[in-house]
Amino acid sequence: MRQAAGIAGGARRALPFLFAAVSIVVAWQLVVWITKPEPSILPPPGAVVASFGHLIANGELPRDAAISLARVFSAWLLSAAVAVPLGLLMGSSRALERIVNPFVELLRPISPLAWIPMAILWFGIGEAGKIFVVLIGAFFPILLNTIAGVKGVDPVLLHAGEVFGCDTRLSLFRRVVVPASMPAVIVGLRIAFGTGWAAIIAAELVAAQSGLGFLIANGMDVLRADKVLVGMIAIGVLGFLFDTLFRFLQGRFGYAS
Amino acid sequence: MQPAPDTGKPLCIARLTKSYESRSGGTLAALGPVSIDVEAGEFVVIVGPSGCGKTTLLHLLAGFLAPSEGAILVGGEPVSSPSIDRAVVFQSYALFPWLSVIENVEFGLMRKKLTGERRREIAEFHLRLVGLQDFANKHIDELSGGMKQRVAIARAFAVEPSILLMDEPFGALDALTRRLLQRELLRIWQEQRRTVVFITHSVTEALFLADRILLMSCRPGQIKGEWRVTEQRPRDVTSSASVALEREIYALLDEELAKTFGQEGLRAT
Ligand SMILES: Nc1ncnc2c1ncn2[C@@H]1O[C@H](COP(=O)(O)OP(=O)(O)O)[C@@H](O)[C@H]1O
Ligand SMILES: [Mg+2]
Repeated sequence: MRQAAGIAGGARRALPFLFAAVSIVVAWQLVVWITKPEPSILPPPGAVVASFGHLIANGELPRDAAISLARVFSAWLLSAAVAVPLGLLMGSSRALERIVNPFVELLRPISPLAWIPMAILWFGIGEAGKIFVVLIGAFFPILLNTIAGVKGVDPVLLHAGEVFGCDTRLSLFRRVVVPASMPAVIVGLRIAFGTGWAAIIAAELVAAQSGLGFLIANGMDVLRADKVLVGMIAIGVLGFLFDTLFRFLQGRFGYAS
Repeated sequence: MQPAPDTGKPLCIARLTKSYESRSGGTLAALGPVSIDVEAGEFVVIVGPSGCGKTTLLHLLAGFLAPSEGAILVGGEPVSSPSIDRAVVFQSYALFPWLSVIENVEFGLMRKKLTGERRREIAEFHLRLVGLQDFANKHIDELSGGMKQRVAIARAFAVEPSILLMDEPFGALDALTRRLLQRELLRIWQEQRRTVVFITHSVTEALFLADRILLMSCRPGQIKGEWRVTEQRPRDVTSSASVALEREIYALLDEELAKTFGQEGLRAT
């Protein structure tokens, strides 16, 4: 009974997305019919679908997608491993925040993409450079959301913690501040995955021999607009799927605060 | 299990004052001087107009704030920081939303040297006391306001404090839920005697609950009136004795309300 309601609810939420996807394809097809562009400029949807099937069958698309995802995940995890603890500490300690905040505010406006040339100079075009770029892209959303989470902890919860047995700052931090900040941390992780996903594609466009960014760049070099579009669609779909997954986790573990 | 047949500890508040630093650099006298003696196991209700320093007083008793002058003694020991021996029930419940209902009740038992099994037993006992045994594993945000406050009451009694501090605990609830919880609180308190300091702005609530009612003047709050309520519980607040007392309290309270409006009027000009 409840499950049926859940499925119906899911369908109701998915419907607008389906509508958007169909509208895009229809508009695209109409443009092709009306303007009759060269297939190397804008191929019809049908040709791209065929290309999609072909690139999946020959293993190229799954391989590149897996490589991009692996890069994003490892860099995002590394970033979180530093940014979450740092953010928790910065949110709790005025002194630490005063020292570290200027660094954050000076470095944050520099887009991760602006780091790509330095990443290539420092790390070459190996994995390390790309991980570095994503790490920077993912770092600030996690850090800033975590700090905001800690600072936004309801003071009455801190009082409750103090009354009910947290008699040191450390135990209050561990038993109240950290769990109370988790919803904000999860939001930061979700946003960071999105910025990391954008950053990895950009880094791969410039300096890579694999990954979805490379697939697109390569498609352009050989004047295969269909391949470029397949890469773009894969980026969009995967980005959307992971964002949906994070939203689900947020609803599951991020209690309403 | 049986709870310890404790009756709480006496509370002694001696010439207590609190001023806050205002942003403009001056000081704002929020409370006092106030001197109150509460007997062990006594249920004291403090009534006063909004802004008179009730929450300030409660935060001083809890140890969240340090007094500007004066002293607070619980069972002869001075209060210096928050302690599990002075449990608080907050108006906004202050439950931990990442924990289940029973885990919230267990929260305060972690520091006591108890086995996990014993902890669970105590928590279950107190959940049963507030009638929420069937909600032990629910999430906090699945509960109504009245249920949340019952969990908070269970959490407070579970740590077997000497003193229970309650700051307008039923202020956010609708009238009927409020009535129900007042009854439940009295029932539990009669089973497990604690010293209670209960703050409210409802005279009716004070008449229904208190052994003794203290009326606070407008800011800086001082004790302006004191009444011992001797009527047997459960009380009928519509009885002629209650109504007479209510009228007496309102007479003094109205003077304070007039002054509060006077203050606010002055501030507005
Ligand atoms: N942290 C604070 N800093 C400055 N002024 C405060 C602070 N807390 C309360 N006050 C002031 O002290 C007075 C008493 O407040 P409070 O104790 O909350 O009153 P009540 O609980 O009776 O409504 C009010 O005028 C309020 O504005
Ligand atoms: Mg108040």
